Amino acid sequence: MRFIFPLICIFIGSCSVDNETIKIKGSDTEVNLAVLMAEQFHFETPGLLVSVSGGGSGLGIASLLNGNADIANSSRSIKDSELKLFKNKGIEIDSIAFAQDAIAFVVSDDLPFDSVDTETIARILKGEFKNWSSLTSLNLPITIYGRQSNSGTYDYVKSSLKINFSPHAMQMNGNAQIIEALKVDNSGIGYVSAGYVLKGNATGLKTLTVYQGNSKAISPLDENAIASGDYLFQRPLFQYYRKVDYEKIKPFLDFEQSEAGAKIIQQSGYYPIQ
Amino acid sequence: MNSRTREKIDSLLKLIFKGAGFLTITLLAGIFFLLFSNSILFFLDVSPLDFFTGSQWDPDTHFSIIPLLVSTFWVAIGSMLLAVPLGVLTAAYLSEMAPRSLQTVLKPIIEMLAAIPSVAIGFLGIVLVGPGLAQLFGIQNGLNALNGSVLLAVMALPTIVSISEDAINAVPKSHREASFALGANKWETLFKVTIPAAFPGLIAAVMLGLGRALGETMTVLMATGNSAAIPRGFLDSVRTITATIAIEMGEVPYQTTHYFALFAIAGLLFLITMVINLTGEFFANRLRKFDA
Amino acid sequence: MERKHFVNSFFWFILGGSTLIVVSFLGIILWDIFSKGFSSLSWAFISSFPRDGMTQGGILPAIIGTVLLTLITTLFSVPFGVACAIYLNEYAKPTLLTNIIRASIRNLAGVPSIIYGLFGLALFVQALDFGTSVLSAGLTLGLLSLPYIITTTEEALKRIPNSLREAALALGVTQFETIKDVVLPKALPGILTGVILTLSRAAGETAPILFTGVAFFINGISASPYQEFMALPYHLYMLSTQHNEIEQVRPLAYGTATVLILVVFSLNSMAFYLRFKNRTQD
Repeated sequence: MRFIFPLICIFIGSCSVDNETIKIKGSDTEVNLAVLMAEQFHFETPGLLVSVSGGGSGLGIASLLNGNADIANSSRSIKDSELKLFKNKGIEIDSIAFAQDAIAFVVSDDLPFDSVDTETIARILKGEFKNWSSLTSLNLPITIYGRQSNSGTYDYVKSSLKINFSPHAMQMNGNAQIIEALKVDNSGIGYVSAGYVLKGNATGLKTLTVYQGNSKAISPLDENAIASGDYLFQRPLFQYYRKVDYEKIKPFLDFEQSEAGAKIIQQSGYYPIQ
Repeated sequence: MNSRTREKIDSLLKLIFKGAGFLTITLLAGIFFLLFSNSILFFLDVSPLDFFTGSQWDPDTHFSIIPLLVSTFWVAIGSMLLAVPLGVLTAAYLSEMAPRSLQTVLKPIIEMLAAIPSVAIGFLGIVLVGPGLAQLFGIQNGLNALNGSVLLAVMALPTIVSISEDAINAVPKSHREASFALGANKWETLFKVTIPAAFPGLIAAVMLGLGRALGETMTVLMATGNSAAIPRGFLDSVRTITATIAIEMGEVPYQTTHYFALFAIAGLLFLITMVINLTGEFFANRLRKFDA
Repeated sequence: MERKHFVNSFFWFILGGSTLIVVSFLGIILWDIFSKGFSSLSWAFISSFPRDGMTQGGILPAIIGTVLLTLITTLFSVPFGVACAIYLNEYAKPTLLTNIIRASIRNLAGVPSIIYGLFGLALFVQALDFGTSVLSAGLTLGLLSLPYIITTTEEALKRIPNSLREAALALGVTQFETIKDVVLPKALPGILTGVILTLSRAAGETAPILFTGVAFFINGISASPYQEFMALPYHLYMLSTQHNEIEQVRPLAYGTATVLILVVFSLNSMAFYLRFKNRTQD
C-alpha cells in the first residue's frame, strides 16, 4: 500500500508539461558535434537542458515528425516523401545548414590504390568488382564497409552515385566502426566523414582522391577545395525543426552560429559555413 | 472500525487484487492486439506471398522476412549446437558426480552468468570474441553469425544447465539401481539409462534456451555485423529479426508501411517464441509430474 | 582393467571439462572486463559528466538515469505484481480463469524484450503521449518485470504455511487483514529477494528503452519524468558501437561495463544473502 502514494505523486508530477529540454536526434555524422555544442552550451545557459541522440538522419527526421525530437540533425536534405508526411500532418518545418562535411573513401595503406573515379567507386560499391585483382595487382576479395540504411551518409553516397549497394556490404553502426574494421582489414573499402580521418585516428589507412572523367583528383582533406565546393562528395549538414518551436530552440541555434560554435565545428574536423 | 466496514474493505481489496490478476491478461492481449492489428495493416500494403517468399529485405522496396528469419534461426541453432552438449554434460556432472560442497559453489556461479546484462556480453563480442574469431579463422572481421552463436550459447547455458539438472535429478533412483544390477557401469548407466529417461526434460531445457536465444536483441545487434543478405555460412554476417527492429524502429515515421512491416516481423517472432516456449513448458510440466 | 580405467578417466574428463568450460565463461567475462575496467574507475568517473564529446569525464548522468529508471519501474511493477500474486495465491480457485492468468504470465515471461519496447513505444510514447521520456521507458520496463515479480512473490507466499492463515481467520479477522498482518510480513524477505533480482535485470536491459526515451547525452539533470535520460547499459552500447571515436573511448566503455556489472552483481548478492538468511531462519 505504501507504494501507491509515490506512484500518484509521479503521475501528478508527470502532468506538468516540461519545456525545458531540447531533444536533438539524428545523423551520426553530426552527433559528436551536437554533443560538444551541448556541453559548451550548458556552461553558458545552464537552465536549458539539451539531450542528444544519434541513430541516423532518417531517425532524426522521423522523430521530428513523430514529435519525439525538437531538432533533427540531418546530413542530407529532406526527401520529398518525408516532406509530404509533414504536410499531411500539417507541421511546418524550417532548417539551417550549420556546417559542411566531405565524404572520404578510405582503404588500407597497404593497398596500391590511391585515386579513384566516380564510375569505379560506383561499381565497387554495387558489388560488380568482387576482387581487387580487377583494379590492382593484389588478389584480395573486396569487402565493403558501409553504413546502415538509416544513415544520411548511406543515403548520400547511394543517391549521388545513383546505385544500390551490394547486399553483401557490411552495415556498420557508425563511422568509427568502419574505421576500426578497415584498420584490421587490408582488403576493405569504406566511406566515412572526412572529420574522422582528419582527427588523426586513422593510422594505417589512406583516403582516396576522387575524380570524374578527366577532372583533377581531389582529396576530401583539402580545405581550399572544400571551400570552393570542388570535391565531388561534399554536403551541408542540416538541422530541421518545427516552426512553432523556433523560440524554444533559438538560444541553442544562436550558440551554434556564434564564434564559439564555429570553433567547435573546426575542431571536430568539419568546415564552418561562411 | 466495525466489522461492516472491515468486510467492505475486505471485498474491495479482493476486487483490487483480482483486477491486478486481470492486468496480466490485458497486457498479453494488448501486445497480441498491437502486433496483429499493425501486421494486418502491413499486409494490406504488401502481399503475404512477397513477405514469405522473397529474398530481400530492403525497406524502400522489398519486404521479405526470409533473410531475417534464416539469420535468426541460423544464429540461434548455432548457439544451441554449442550450448546443448556443454549444458547437458555440465548438468550431468553437477547432479551425478560433483560432491555436494562443489555443487553449492558451482550453482551460484552458473546463476551469476545469467545475471550479466546482454549488452555487456555483446560488448565482449566486439572486443574479445570478434577479434579472436578473426584470428582463428584468418578472416578480416569477426562480426558474424558464429560470434553471435558463441555469445548466445553463453547466455542460454544457465537456463539449459538448470533445467537439465532438474530433469536428470528427477529420474528415479530405481532406474539407476536396476541398470547397475544388470552389470552396467557408471557411464553406461548415465548415457544409456539416465539421460534417455530424462529426455523430455532435456527437450524442455533446449526449447527454453532456444526461446531465449531467438528473442535476444542487444548481443546479436552488436556482434553479428547486421548485413541483411541470406547467410551462406557461419562466418557470414547476419541480421536477425530482433536486430532489424532495433536498428530500424527509430528511423521510421509512424503509420507507414515500413513501420507496420516492423510490427509484422515482431508479430512473427512473437508467435515463434511463444510456440517454442509453450513446447518447452509442456515438457517441463511433464517433468514436474514425473517428479511428484 | 586398463581399459576400464581409461574409460573412466575419459568420461570424467568430458563431464568435468564441460563444467569447467561453463564456469570459465564467467571467469573470462569478469576477468576481461574488470582487468581493463578497474583502471578507469575513480571517484571522478562516477561523479562527473562526460566531457569533450564524451571522450573524457565520467558517467554520472548515466548512473542517475539508471537509478531514476529503476525507481519508476519499481513503483509500477511491485504494487501490481504483488497484488496479482496475492490474488493468485490467496484468493483464486483453480478455475479456467485462473489457468488463463497463469498461462498469460508464463507467456509474458517469454516475450522477447524488444517486443516490450515496441509495446511501450505504441502505448506510452504514442497513445498516452508521454513522449520519449524516462517515464515511458520506466513503465515499459515495469511491464517487462511484471511476470518475474508475480512468479517470485507467489513462490514466497506459497512458503507461508496454511496453518498461520487458518489461525488468523479463526480469530475472526477478515481475509485481507490476514494477508496484511500475517502473510505479507512473513513473506516480505522472500518478496524482497524477488524484487531485487527483478530490478537487477531491469537495470541491465537495453532493448526496451531504445525507442522509449534513452539518449546519447544529456547536459544536465532534472527530476522531470518527461525528460530523456542516459542509462548505464545504453551508454555501454553507445560507447562501443555508436560513438565517433570508438578506440579512444574504449577505456570509458570498459569502465562503464565494470560499473554496470558491479551494480548488477551487488543487487544479486544482496538477493542471495536475503534468500540464504531467510532459508536458514525457517
